[in-house]
Amino acid sequence: MGLMRYAWRNLWRNKRRTGITLAAVTLNTAILIMAYALMDGMIKHSVQNATNVVLGEAQIHAEGYREDHSFYKSLPDPEIILKKATEHRIGAAPRSYGYGLVSVGAKSAGALFWGIDPAVERAVFDLADNIQFGRFLSDKPEQGIVLGKKLARSLHASIGDEIIVVVQAADGSLGNELYTIFGILKTVGDNIDRGAAILHQDDFRELFVSKGRIHEVALNTRGEMPIMELAALMATAAEGTQVKTWRELMPLLSDMVNIFDSVMLIFYAIFVLAAGLGVMNTMLMATYDRMREFGILKAIGTSPWRIIGNMAVEAFVLAVTAAAFGLVIGLAGGYYFQEVGIDTRIFAAGDFSFSGVAFDPIWRAVLGVKVVAIPVVVMCVICTIASLYPAVLAARINPVRAIHHV
Amino acid sequence: MKQGTVRFGPVFLNLDFRTLKGIKSAACFCVCLLSFLCFGSMVLAQTAGLAPKEILDRVDDLMRGDSSHGKMTMTITTAHWTRSLRIEAWSKGKDKSLMRILAPKKEKGTATLRSGNNIWNFLPKVKRIIKLPSSMMASSWMGSHFTNDDLVKESRMADDYDFKATFEGVKSGREVLEITCIPKEEAVVVWGKVVLTVGKDNYLPLKIEYYDEDLELARTMTFEDVGLLGGRTLPRRFITVPADKPQESTVITYEEMAFNLELDDKLFSIRSLQR
Repeated sequence: MGLMRYAWRNLWRNKRRTGITLAAVTLNTAILIMAYALMDGMIKHSVQNATNVVLGEAQIHAEGYREDHSFYKSLPDPEIILKKATEHRIGAAPRSYGYGLVSVGAKSAGALFWGIDPAVERAVFDLADNIQFGRFLSDKPEQGIVLGKKLARSLHASIGDEIIVVVQAADGSLGNELYTIFGILKTVGDNIDRGAAILHQDDFRELFVSKGRIHEVALNTRGEMPIMELAALMATAAEGTQVKTWRELMPLLSDMVNIFDSVMLIFYAIFVLAAGLGVMNTMLMATYDRMREFGILKAIGTSPWRIIGNMAVEAFVLAVTAAAFGLVIGLAGGYYFQEVGIDTRIFAAGDFSFSGVAFDPIWRAVLGVKVVAIPVVVMCVICTIASLYPAVLAARINPVRAIHHV
Repeated sequence: MKQGTVRFGPVFLNLDFRTLKGIKSAACFCVCLLSFLCFGSMVLAQTAGLAPKEILDRVDDLMRGDSSHGKMTMTITTAHWTRSLRIEAWSKGKDKSLMRILAPKKEKGTATLRSGNNIWNFLPKVKRIIKLPSSMMASSWMGSHFTNDDLVKESRMADDYDFKATFEGVKSGREVLEITCIPKEEAVVVWGKVVLTVGKDNYLPLKIEYYDEDLELARTMTFEDVGLLGGRTLPRRFITVPADKPQESTVITYEEMAFNLELDDKLFSIRSLQR
């Protein structure tokens, strides 16, 4: 502890010099925290954008369903899965799928019917917010349908039109029904745009004589739970099911996020390097400044190791102090960016999308333990290392030359 | 205010109706459905030793005619259900046909009109007519192992295929003749190969095997119960089995048939569809 006190006293012998170094480290730590938080925010939010609409962070299907989408390969015990998800406060939306034909006026097209629970979809996902015209389905069945954008366009359909649907029901019979078009979705994804016809699950059950078959449970915690943990937890929910995370469901998106992650890491490395070099420069200057002092220390018989030790401790104490300040400023800034964000529209107008993921024009940071801890540790290490080089020089110096060093 | 949306959908739900029932899109020469629509005039060949081309033409003509009217039962068996449809059907010329379902109750009155390459369905429950989009041509007709495509394709074997007799002799205790047909370069057919087996005594088809482009067997039609139908001697039961699901089948059994009647063109109109 005496070493620390000694270092602390030593540091404040030259207030200006130490102040400059302190400011440099503080500022760099704060910048690193904010930059890291912003980068993490961009990745996290782009993933959330991708998963929150309909995909979910993970999905559960019956074994083999994903291979051929057979109507008969439905989940064996959907209730158990939904119950378990609810117990763990995981948002879980049950969905049924079936193919068929839709027709408006003289136009007709093939469609994939979705049987959903509108109340649950509204609570867990954002599909209901992505309505371009009309409205989403109500919580109670009312013979309404919501169509994908391109499908609606190809049918020349508009809100309020009656739509005829014809399907092959589960018992082999011909299911057919009239519905009213309640809503048309925004662009949300090519498959949905081109072919989704969304029904209330009760209407779906009647149309397909599906006896309540559920083909998919989409899980979403909106980032509350790490996806691996989520997948592991739900994998044991019911027999004969398979859980796939969004990374497995959408490998393209996953790859994109990985690439994005790497790009961000490179950026971050450059940031750290720049900050590190700045700090190192300040530390070096501060040490060269003290060459005479070292000369005198050596002249009165201080061992080289002791000089290196003292220098390293001084640098470390300085760095920790600065990092603490930087942490406060970084947290404040990061919090601001998390709550308010940066409006990217001041740089570029219009929607900004990348590989199919549209980014929110408001760029928000996400603060996390990792985001805060890594910059702090990195700065402390860099400062200590930066002080070692001049310290070694100082330790090996000829006292006479050092004393004359100006 | 959420502005960001994702241009992503569940990719794994690929909307490809060709996979609907696992049925290979059929550009067959209408042996299948047209068979019970357009029974042709079939003069039994008593002459021996017909050339393959003549045999093909005969088999083709067996299914074609000026007009026909009849009733049949279609029994469909899949892994998940079995059902029988009673159907009344009319046909005129090569490209006009009308089918109306008589039973079961749920489908009663459902009708399909084919005129040229277009197919319309009348749905009595909602009292609406819908025209079938071209994207649905490859999907199954009424859940059977026939596609809508089978309803409208009309090629003649002898025109679209190069053929030669590949076997002559006894199979399963019958004198048979086997003709293998390979599609011509320019022919618009989906099969990679069609193998036709006819009885040597009457030149009536016993079996037709359809192979896909990879020359894998896609489906087999067998013809049974030769007897009198509309004053002609014909097979009265057609059985279609998809090769990838041997336990599934569609069986068409003819109850009554009449050929070469005077049928008004008005019968094959959208108006008559709704009756």
